[in-house]
Amino acid sequence: MNTAPIDGWEGAEVYYTFADKPAVIGLLIVVGVAVCAFTIYRMAWHETHAAKRHG
Amino acid sequence: MNETTPDIEAKIAALEAALANVNTMNSEIFYWWCTALMLAIHAGFLAYEMGASRSKNALASGIKNLLAFAFIVPSFYFIGWWIYLAFPAGLTISEASSAGLPWSANMGPNLTDQASGIFYAAFTLFAATTASIMSGSVIERIRMSGFTILAVFLGSVVWILGASWGWHPSGWLTTKWGLHDVGAAGCVHTVAGFFTLGVLINLGPRMGRYNADGSLNEIPGHNMPMSLIGLMLIVMGFFGFLGGCIIYTADGWLTIYNTPVTLSAFAFNTLMGVAGGMIGAYLMTRDPFWMMSGALVGVISSAPALDVYYPGLAFLISFLGGIIAPKVNDYLVMKLKIDDAVGAVAVHGVTGVYGLIMAGIFASGYANIEGPEINLMGQIMSAAVFVVLGFVPGYGLSYVLKMFGLLRVGSGVELAGLDRAEIPAKAYPEAAVPAFELSPVSPAE
Repeated sequence: MNTAPIDGWEGAEVYYTFADKPAVIGLLIVVGVAVCAFTIYRMAWHETHAAKRHG
Repeated sequence: MNETTPDIEAKIAALEAALANVNTMNSEIFYWWCTALMLAIHAGFLAYEMGASRSKNALASGIKNLLAFAFIVPSFYFIGWWIYLAFPAGLTISEASSAGLPWSANMGPNLTDQASGIFYAAFTLFAATTASIMSGSVIERIRMSGFTILAVFLGSVVWILGASWGWHPSGWLTTKWGLHDVGAAGCVHTVAGFFTLGVLINLGPRMGRYNADGSLNEIPGHNMPMSLIGLMLIVMGFFGFLGGCIIYTADGWLTIYNTPVTLSAFAFNTLMGVAGGMIGAYLMTRDPFWMMSGALVGVISSAPALDVYYPGLAFLISFLGGIIAPKVNDYLVMKLKIDDAVGAVAVHGVTGVYGLIMAGIFASGYANIEGPEINLMGQIMSAAVFVVLGFVPGYGLSYVLKMFGLLRVGSGVELAGLDRAEIPAKAYPEAAVPAFELSPVSPAE
């Protein structure tokens, strides 16, 4: 898989992985947000179950 | 050998390019180390809040703090930096904001942009600091999930909107009203303090804090020495924070408002502010916790005009802040029955307002680059904006979380200790004294 948006370093400007593939960048952002949201959801789920155990 | 004019011109061009490169790299290095030093603020809040908790809640308090940091880094990347660039004019979106969108060419490695990343980093640490201000007040009864949602909202949306308005060279609070707040007392401390107040109203006090007749029970933390060390680490981290408040340019230092300043000016007034606040709070309370909170009060009191105060004046302004803050906290806790576990509303919220007003009195008349000169009415009105900007979202979001049962832990969990219920580790596995023996409320109640 070629993730580089540049062919060489001469004249390179923006060079982060997938910089030339906006769909991939969009997907990475969506997944990043989803990962954070899911972790908060699991935190809340765990707290609710802990509360039931402790009355 | 005689050099020709083209040779000399080429050498001059090369030297100019090298100098420009050195300036750019110096700027990156400066903000890199400011960011690193600001991590000491988080180590400090960690120690401070764990120490202020009872031992049965120590790890939960610590993890909450760390989670705020962890979630603010990505959320500030996804939306916070964009908000800062987008809204200096108020609620209309600036064209410059596209550089802050997470898919922009500026939001990752880019050989033509050596500024966006380090500024994003410094601002992210400011954001995490802002959220940490809330975290101490709500210890020992807030749900970690609810807290994390509040922290992300405060750190990646609310304060940064205030910063766009009032801590930005083109922010409307400055261009319209002449706001001057170089050390971010308004957008960070006032906003965070009053956001916290809004949350505390919905969260309610810890069990056993208040008796039926309204009298107060002290709930001491389990490790005051840890809290004192933590507060001192926060003071150390402030040097990173305030360093990050200065703009490094090839032509010299500037404030965030593009007015000239020196790092020396900040050095004078930061130290005098810390000392003044410590001495004032010690005089008022003799309490070591409040003495060190006074150090923070001192910095915040002088923060809005750190660039222009005579150091002796900064000392006295901060000394007076150290006198006032504990009294404000007493009023909130005893009269209004707001259980602020660490005094953040007084130390940050009210002191931020005090600092802004002091700048309006003692720094009025200095010119801003854009907008009217520093003036008392501008500082007062801006303080009011920050108060509302902090309080309304804090109260509103915590109210919604409360409605969904996501704000506060159950009473059984609160009595057993948040660590036992929520953390798969023990802070003090060899401790012999059961936590409930130290609590004003027994498990049977």
